[in-house]
Amino acid sequence: MTPLFQAVNLTKRFGGLTAADSVSLDVNVGEVIGLVGDNGAGKSTFIKMVAGVYQPDEGELFFESRLVSFSGPREARDLGIETIYQDLALAENLDVGANIFLGREIKNRYMGGAIKTLNRTKMREESAKVLSRLDIRIPSLAQQIRNLSGGQRQSVAIARTIYWNAKMVIMDEPTAALGVTEQHKVLTLVRTLCDQGVPVIIISHNMQDVFAVADRIVVMRRGKKVGERFAKQSTPDEIVSLMVGAEAVHEMGVIPRALNGVQEAV
Amino acid sequence: MTVQPAEPAAVKPKRNRIENLEMVRKVWPWAFLVTLIVLFSIASQAANNVTFLSSRSIQGILLYATQVLLIGLAQTFVIIAAGIDLSSGWVLGFASVVAALVMQTLHAAGMSPVVTIGAGMLGGVLVTIVPGLINGLLIARVKVPPFIATLGMGILVEGVALLISGGYPIAKQPPYLGPLGNGSLLYFWPDHGLYFFNAPLTVTPAEAQAVIPLMPNPVFITIIVMLVCWFILAKTQFGQHLYAIGGNFEAAVRAGIPVKRTLVKVYIMSAVLAGIAGVIWTARFTSGAYNAGETTTLNAIAAVVIGGASMFGGEGTVVGTIIGALIIGTIQYGLVLLGVSPFWQYVAIGFVVILAVVMDQFGRNLGK
Repeated sequence: MTPLFQAVNLTKRFGGLTAADSVSLDVNVGEVIGLVGDNGAGKSTFIKMVAGVYQPDEGELFFESRLVSFSGPREARDLGIETIYQDLALAENLDVGANIFLGREIKNRYMGGAIKTLNRTKMREESAKVLSRLDIRIPSLAQQIRNLSGGQRQSVAIARTIYWNAKMVIMDEPTAALGVTEQHKVLTLVRTLCDQGVPVIIISHNMQDVFAVADRIVVMRRGKKVGERFAKQSTPDEIVSLMVGAEAVHEMGVIPRALNGVQEAV
Repeated sequence: MTVQPAEPAAVKPKRNRIENLEMVRKVWPWAFLVTLIVLFSIASQAANNVTFLSSRSIQGILLYATQVLLIGLAQTFVIIAAGIDLSSGWVLGFASVVAALVMQTLHAAGMSPVVTIGAGMLGGVLVTIVPGLINGLLIARVKVPPFIATLGMGILVEGVALLISGGYPIAKQPPYLGPLGNGSLLYFWPDHGLYFFNAPLTVTPAEAQAVIPLMPNPVFITIIVMLVCWFILAKTQFGQHLYAIGGNFEAAVRAGIPVKRTLVKVYIMSAVLAGIAGVIWTARFTSGAYNAGETTTLNAIAAVVIGGASMFGGEGTVVGTIIGALIIGTIQYGLVLLGVSPFWQYVAIGFVVILAVVMDQFGRNLGK
């Protein structure tokens, strides 16, 4: 099977620093990929190249088997690569429908298009459809976003990308600010997305999340991809030792604190 | 056996606490206005044996409020987009001066009053596009904070209006201008009927007294402008984009909203509304004055705040601003009617503005 998306040897330098060094990644339909690494490992740099925010210094991107390059995030989005950042980019003062259709509102036309009004009913109906397709329950679509919980907001942001035909979704720490129940809901939603044919790259620090949702785990360290494991054939221990560097564990002769925490949690 | 999940139908669409608080925030200005009218009715009845609520006083309040209303509408738009337009009052004066100068010149040149007045009014309104456009470009493209850009523009425009008027009121206006600015759309003459636009010809002073003017022309124009503004803000994509820009600027940009263009448009709109107010001022007082809107800007911002807008952007409605302006107009008119020193109106309006923000904060904090 040809991958939906391929990054081949992407490299990005900032002055003397090589933030991402020859990183490659394949993404197949039906997969959730966990992208993990310590702070400064180069995850964000890599993702921003995929999302069109940064232009790689070296390397190539293939989407649907075609060589592509993005001069800005808009171009990546037009192809169907959507990125959901931690701030979600929702207007808190507007309702769910207005946010899903933000910037692309549905309008009624009167007098041959001379007068155009917003079709809020239609926007809410369409929003309801996409939300139910993703099994998302939000009590009232007329609610302002500010009255929704963190998980519901995350769901609205995801639903928006889906409504606009995302073919691949990148999520930056989607569970970071959520309570346990909400985390679970968002992870379920990630699986739903994936089952509906939209692969997800999920950046996370949380080993539990990554193992709960990802099929494949890609580990970055100091700008390089240091490992790639199928979640089923790996363990949090292995991933963490890849993240911090196996030799570090060896040198210190102790299990790093991060790993300790994980063992307790798992 | 499978356990059925709890029946969701049992959940009534009950109002939660947040919605209740939002109701309070929405309703209190109405309640305040009604209370104000009741209090003034009782007071004026008791003090002067005058009925406060008459067709005369209602029209008086509306006429009083037109300027604050028009500038308030302008502020509503820019404040929703997380901006402010401090140049409004001076743009108003500038428009009034330009309109008066055009009319004075054309009248002196012997042009017909219709052409003169038409050209003057159009000129006065159109000239405001210049400061509006510059405000918009400074704010949207050069990223000058709206407060500073419009403050500077206000002072600049005041100077230009002073330069072209020499600081004097511009009199010698064409005939019909005064009647246009002070006339009414309808006149009701009991036992005779309704008259459209022109007061009926009366013979005796008693007859003239009997004629009731309905709907002063400036109020009529303001109402039309209000309806247009309400439509734009509540029903169009442009209005929605203003809310989005004020609510989350970054999100608006990322959602592909033409943020810069929208901001330029909104500042032009604000200036043009000030222009309309300026032209109305010129028609009412058959003169042009650079300081015609000197006190209007801050009163208008007060009206917008009383109406529930947030100075951080993203919130506010045309209806709210109308209520806010009516509260201010009622206070001003009512105190005059009661014979209270007009200086008290500042104290009263200031109090209401602070009350409005306190109510808003109160609602928000309880909602958390």
